[in-house]
Amino acid sequence: MKVLTGVHKKIKDLHPHEAIAPGTGLCAGCGGLEGLRMGLKELGDDFLICNAAGCFTLLSVYPFTPLKGSWLYTTMGGPVPAAQGVRDTLDIRMRYRGLEKKENLNVIVVAGDGSSNDIGFGATSAAIHRNLDFIYFCYDNEAYGNTGFQLSAASPYGSATQTTPSTDAHEAGTEINKKDLFEIWKAQKPIYLATVSPREPIDLSNKFARAKDLQGPRMFICMSPCPTGWGFEPKETQQIAKLAVDTGIFPVKEYFEGEVVHTVRPRKRLPVEKFLELQKRFRHLFEPHRQDEVIGQIQNRVDDYWRQYE
Amino acid sequence: MWRIRMHGRGGQGIKTASQMLGSAGFYSGFQAQDFPLYGAERRGAPVIAFTRISKDAILERGPISSPDIILIGDETLLNDPQSAPLCGADPSTVIFVNSDRMPESLASNFSVTAVNLTDLCLQHLDNRMVYSSALSAAGARLLGIIELPDLLQAVEDELTGVSSQVLRGNLNLAREIFEIIQPAVISEKANSPLIAKSLVFPQHLPVVDGAPIILDPGNMALRKTGNWRVERPKIDYEQCNNCMICYARCPDGVIRTAPDGRPEIDYDHCKGCLICAQECPGHFINTVRETGMFP
Amino acid sequence: MKTSKKIMLTGNKAAAWGARMAAVEYVPAFPITPQTEIVETLAKWFADGTLQGKFTNMDSEHSMFMAAGSAGATGVRVFTASSSQGILHGMESLYTITGWRTPMVIVNVSRALATPLTLEPDHNDVLSTRDCGLIQLHAETCQEVFDFILMGYRIAEDADVCLPVLVNLDGFYLSFTREPVLIPDEEEVRSFLPLYTATQPVFQASRPMARASAVFGGATYTSFKLQQELACRNAENCFNRVAQDFEKHFGRLYVPVEMFHLDDAEYVFVMSNSFATKGKSAVLKLRQQGIKAGLLKLRLFRPFPGEAIASALAGHAKVAVIDQNLAPGMGGITYPEIVTSLYACEDRPDKILSVIGGLGGKDIDDQDFMAIIEHLDKPDSRTPLYLYDENDVSGFNRLQQIAKLKEAIS
Repeated sequence: MKVLTGVHKKIKDLHPHEAIAPGTGLCAGCGGLEGLRMGLKELGDDFLICNAAGCFTLLSVYPFTPLKGSWLYTTMGGPVPAAQGVRDTLDIRMRYRGLEKKENLNVIVVAGDGSSNDIGFGATSAAIHRNLDFIYFCYDNEAYGNTGFQLSAASPYGSATQTTPSTDAHEAGTEINKKDLFEIWKAQKPIYLATVSPREPIDLSNKFARAKDLQGPRMFICMSPCPTGWGFEPKETQQIAKLAVDTGIFPVKEYFEGEVVHTVRPRKRLPVEKFLELQKRFRHLFEPHRQDEVIGQIQNRVDDYWRQYE
Repeated sequence: MWRIRMHGRGGQGIKTASQMLGSAGFYSGFQAQDFPLYGAERRGAPVIAFTRISKDAILERGPISSPDIILIGDETLLNDPQSAPLCGADPSTVIFVNSDRMPESLASNFSVTAVNLTDLCLQHLDNRMVYSSALSAAGARLLGIIELPDLLQAVEDELTGVSSQVLRGNLNLAREIFEIIQPAVISEKANSPLIAKSLVFPQHLPVVDGAPIILDPGNMALRKTGNWRVERPKIDYEQCNNCMICYARCPDGVIRTAPDGRPEIDYDHCKGCLICAQECPGHFINTVRETGMFP
Repeated sequence: MKTSKKIMLTGNKAAAWGARMAAVEYVPAFPITPQTEIVETLAKWFADGTLQGKFTNMDSEHSMFMAAGSAGATGVRVFTASSSQGILHGMESLYTITGWRTPMVIVNVSRALATPLTLEPDHNDVLSTRDCGLIQLHAETCQEVFDFILMGYRIAEDADVCLPVLVNLDGFYLSFTREPVLIPDEEEVRSFLPLYTATQPVFQASRPMARASAVFGGATYTSFKLQQELACRNAENCFNRVAQDFEKHFGRLYVPVEMFHLDDAEYVFVMSNSFATKGKSAVLKLRQQGIKAGLLKLRLFRPFPGEAIASALAGHAKVAVIDQNLAPGMGGITYPEIVTSLYACEDRPDKILSVIGGLGGKDIDDQDFMAIIEHLDKPDSRTPLYLYDENDVSGFNRLQQIAKLKEAIS
């Protein structure tokens, strides 16, 4: 089994450098921002972020940018082809026009789960197919958060969104399953693919450190607890992220050279309701009456997942 | 026409307050219009909402620049340049502020009512800092033209879907505010003659200025988000063992390692999410409510 | 030694040659009939080393235009091409990248839009991009296609403009039609259009910057949009400057609107693109019959050369604006633009007739032009005038019968 070794062992090893200055308009307690902040620490400042319409579009609002590197806002479905244009151009300039290597940039796409799973999905698949040398960071808060939390293909079964509310006729709220973006991307065999959690900064940082030196599509899905959309207090972001890992709902893993490795394994998985009950988007599973069948199905799916890896 | 402008923060129910007041005016037989102004920001960031109430048809839309009443749900906004709650106020403007004391600088210039909504929310809403019912009640009462039953009806209608306990708390809160505040004297603003703007023909700029291009990386730090805070995390340095968990967990990256190795919070930018306080393994970070930010 | 040559080329090949002689460095591409020959040709030239740079097969026009824009923002000379549905699919990206203000040349090969699906040309596709901030040059001949691409880069890259330039040619009637095209000497081209150097900051490590960030508030938005408007308007002067320099190098002078037998014309056809050739032929035949006809051809369509059009049409009695496009419920798209440009003109034409024809590649023949003359003379002619006749009706009837044959039997 090929496991890339980590460079960070403890919190104090993490880079002190912040690539994102404070002052942004993102929500207090944003889990996705924490993930991006940790990831960028590993990449140095020579980066360009191509951004898809979403919450993170508010990172840079004219005349302000929080980034020490570069930024290009594109469209909701356009960040990946924009990354292609930049990557190709830097390669052309370095090969034919004498651009020095030190002028090269890490080209990064930052997109939400809506862009990643829905409107930008085809373009992303195409870029993996073209073996585009880039880093893709999907902050997954499991709905269209920037527009007020509507269903995306990443919204999990049993969650309520603004467009899949829980009603008498549709008690579960969202009645379809979250798209398994990890498996879909894996089927295209990108050079590197990982899920990361803001709860696991060492794991996250090591994964970015590994990805940094690889060439080709390096895909990240970051579990992004969202106080605003999920309905919990901002201070609980880390607690929710921890429960997502500890219940096994969010597997922390990486795919490299044909193998999937779980880099953080919950020792003894907690029941899923420990994660669900803290969030307003799942409250209908507990009030006014407990929906045992829905909770049971969520638990079964988690159990089925982990059974494959026992 | 009466023009009411409300200032608060994302998550405090400011938009709902403007709607409750609009509905209350409508139920009292007036023409009404309400409208929230969404900025880019989220929870904790300044929010503005507007209500117009009139005996005649309302031929205005959009933001209110010269309000008759300003309702300030969060006193920390008073020195926030982005929210600028006093913008467009003149000596005739009636001001309501959620505060436990009468801000002197305000009182000398305007007619001000100060009520500690935070305490009342503690009492009626189980400490949830949602000011929608309270602010709409304050606005309705200051206007002096809205009957209590119409206000309560509006509160109930705008809170469709909440538990009966939460609704009861809100109705009681609205009733109490309505009782403790006295109607204000609001003078009708006279129409001034229209004056034409002096228009300019724009000059073509080089593309670096003419397109949205920002050449100062990291200049976002010029924007201070410290005033989003409702509560302030304070590190107890007597006990802190510099484990730096707080630094690692801060989404906005506003906890730095000081030269002496201790974590240091950048209060200019800390949004007050309180993840640091929650996550500190030894519980060495306390939280205190932000007050006293009057200009 | 100068090595210019005249060779038989389709409009598509002429476009590819234009890109080649401009020394384009990056071509993101996606196939669509009738444009595909352009990118196929360029793909071969990149593959065999004739062109230095990169050809990237993209996954859609939406992606293609986005990659073209970001490449422009990173500092190479970019070329791409599309048509019809592809232009519509890429529309969001086109609006986006014009706001980035990065130069490039885009070729559109006009093809009518579905529904119904068809392959032959009209101009609804290119005119759908009318308001997105592109500079537009419309070509009548394969030579114009080639020349406009070279001129297009000069305009697009001019510091007063910094906008994508779109060169339009008609599908089939130009795209697949061969005619002699003069390919100038490469050194002469280089002296007219040097190798690319960016005139604005481009993405690279030593120059971190944020581009295309969101704005909040109408005032900031307006400021940027007005800059786009001014830059686009600057392109008219820039076109004339570049045209003069082009003439100096290559001996051909282009003006924003071409005037064909206009001096003494009583009847004027306003046309654009390849069908203008048909109009010119009709003008010559009508003159043989003693009818003083003339033609105004639109070359520069954005920025709209309103003053040039007004001064060309002033003093002529009867004008027919032939739109090969249809805005249902309104009529022709260019008609109101032409009329608007004449409004302030004292000796404006007595009559300006809106004509709709050539939809989906439908021919406009001499009899059509004669019919237009008749209607220009009628005091009560219907407007818009549709170039649609009895043969079209009976042909359509036959098809309808086949389409419901079973139903007729039962």
